[in-house]
Amino acid sequence: MTQHNSSSDIGWLNRRQAVLLGAGAAGALAGLTPRRAGAVVRLDITKGNVQPIPIALPDFIGTSAGDPETAHDVTQIIVSNLQRSGLFAPIDPAAYIERISSFDAFPRFPDWRQINAQLLVTGRMSREGGRLKAEFRLWDVFAGSPLDGQQFVTSPENWRRIAHIISDAIYQKVTGDKGYFDSRIVFVDESGPKDRRVKRLAIMDQDGAQVRYLTRGDDLVLTPRFSPTTQQITYMSYGQGEPRVLLLNIENGQREIVGNFPGMTFAPRFSPDGQRVVMSLQQGGNANLFVMDLRSKATTRLTDTAAIDTAPSYSPDGARICFESDRGGKPQIYVMGAGGGGAQRISFGEGIYSTPVWSPRGDYIAFTKQSEGKFAIGIMQPDGQGERILTEGFHNEGPTFAPNGRVIMFFRDPGGNSGPALYTVDVTGRNEQRTPTPSFASDPAWSPLLS
Amino acid sequence: MRTGLTISGVGHAAVLLWCVVTFVARPYHAGTSEALPVDVISTSELAQITKGTKNAPPVEKPKPVAEKVAAPAPVDDPLAKLANKEIKAATDVPPVPERKPPEPKAKKPPQPQADPIADALKKDDDKKPDPKKPDPKPPTPPKKPAQQEPPPFDPRNVQALLDKRTPQRMAMVGDEIGNNKLSLGGPNQSAEQLSQSELGALRDRLQNLWNLPAGNKDPRELTVEVEIQLKPDGTLAAPPTVLTQGSSPLFQAARDSARRAVYQGQPYTMLRPEHYELWKDVIVTFDPQYIGRY
Repeated sequence: MTQHNSSSDIGWLNRRQAVLLGAGAAGALAGLTPRRAGAVVRLDITKGNVQPIPIALPDFIGTSAGDPETAHDVTQIIVSNLQRSGLFAPIDPAAYIERISSFDAFPRFPDWRQINAQLLVTGRMSREGGRLKAEFRLWDVFAGSPLDGQQFVTSPENWRRIAHIISDAIYQKVTGDKGYFDSRIVFVDESGPKDRRVKRLAIMDQDGAQVRYLTRGDDLVLTPRFSPTTQQITYMSYGQGEPRVLLLNIENGQREIVGNFPGMTFAPRFSPDGQRVVMSLQQGGNANLFVMDLRSKATTRLTDTAAIDTAPSYSPDGARICFESDRGGKPQIYVMGAGGGGAQRISFGEGIYSTPVWSPRGDYIAFTKQSEGKFAIGIMQPDGQGERILTEGFHNEGPTFAPNGRVIMFFRDPGGNSGPALYTVDVTGRNEQRTPTPSFASDPAWSPLLS
Repeated sequence: MRTGLTISGVGHAAVLLWCVVTFVARPYHAGTSEALPVDVISTSELAQITKGTKNAPPVEKPKPVAEKVAAPAPVDDPLAKLANKEIKAATDVPPVPERKPPEPKAKKPPQPQADPIADALKKDDDKKPDPKKPDPKPPTPPKKPAQQEPPPFDPRNVQALLDKRTPQRMAMVGDEIGNNKLSLGGPNQSAEQLSQSELGALRDRLQNLWNLPAGNKDPRELTVEVEIQLKPDGTLAAPPTVLTQGSSPLFQAARDSARRAVYQGQPYTMLRPEHYELWKDVIVTFDPQYIGRY
């Protein structure tokens, strides 16, 4: 996949803009001097609106045969991505006044202003020697100026990723934060009746498309986790023997056991550099944390207590680890240095705290909280301040952060005869949405951005 | 024991007495602070007020000259008043013998004039100058000629000689110019303020339109200052100028969102055209600090 910041193609536009800018600057200079006479009114705006931004996304233009369908599908994926983010409100195409027929011409902004679109995206799909070329431009409708313009060339079967990458570009331009659309989810797919569930590892795009199964379902699988740098997944498999932490290569399907410990290993997770795996090892009635270097296979003990320490998760800088421990009686969340040593308890609320996960942005730790017979997903700052519950119900568990740290995915089991399903919620607690999966699903883990 | 009690009693009494004598009860002066005009206005009231000003009487320009004002009826009265002042012009005033009121006044003026002589005369015959009305009159009978013919020079009359305008005119101009009328302020003064309700309406408008995506990691870094130049009809005279510098994607997003709000808000009709000089240049600070992260 190649990517250019479109330069050649919108060069004419830049030149034209330069002329306009020059004229504008001269005008502004001429206008400035006399205006300074009076006192200037100053105004502070300290409140704003948190509402989805209206955005118009007319279908991209397909230039050769077959492209119009692809162009339409790509546009639809972008529309649904932006809509699900909760930050954009795509406008119904039926309201569009102007039909975009040329990618190179300026849109008629008054037409778009009239339907209250703040942003407009135009695009073109074309073929270049058997490869798919996608270009798009993001326009600020009220200012009447382009905000962004890029083009991508890839093989035709990657058209979905093109849509996700364009979505990310729009998202980043408007929010300032990196997007999360070009990413994948690994999860445990559950099928069959409740007493004989078949659990298989599955991977899909973050929007639920392109589901692919990674295991056959002979063994029970739990807690899959993405490597931040490579195409690897670590998970716990419960086969004939003892539960084991395994490493799986998504590309070639190779599997290997992590470490050679006597006893059960569980709750694995990669370090931010992808070089190490931290996990929990059962020793008698206790469990302690160990870290293993994947290249040298050297293992290091991190905790040594007569308690159950589990669910470790690195901070994004790799300097600290948060984990769950019942050393204080009930399971609570603790934070310690990545090399082990003294741990500090950070959760002090009522109930049981478990499965802490550090945000890739570093500002929050997400957790599952169990109190009064309810399971809640919440976040708190790494020092334990500002605890906030995002969702609460019969059974919510297993939070995982989107690559930009603004969205959390978890699974929810409504109880009864049905099974778990995947949901996303913003760290603001708003915009809860179900992620479509082919059957029941649990234990999601969000990958880093693919590009 | 007893001595102790006595000493204690005397001591306490002394202290109390000392307190009574030395403690001065001064009135407590809180620093005088000027009253700040505050208007609490709901939006509906704002609309009413805006309508009201349209019907207000047109502001008249102050009259620089009062040439025509001499005509009005009340001429008589000011004349009478003025006669008082016109002591030195006594020679002119007597020409109205047919009326009674002027007479007594005309009598008096001569007195001060004749002061040096009168002083001497008074000692001789007390009330004699009064009956001697005819004394000043001799010059009056020839009405017009008297004016042309310069009266004997009197240094005390210089003032009267300098101002050749008619006394009526002076009176009316004084009446007109007097600060007894309400005014909206000088024609060229900029001391006027935009009313809080206008500013509030502008602020509301921008706040409703400013859409900063929630959940940013640190909204404090994203303060954006925008300078807006407006035309009298409330539309933008030029693209808004962003005064804050920054290059991070987060800042760019905040900057764009602020700019979008400014573009979208026009025309800013809540700003009254009368105050255009005041709001043609506005600097707006978009500060997301208090916009929660959730």
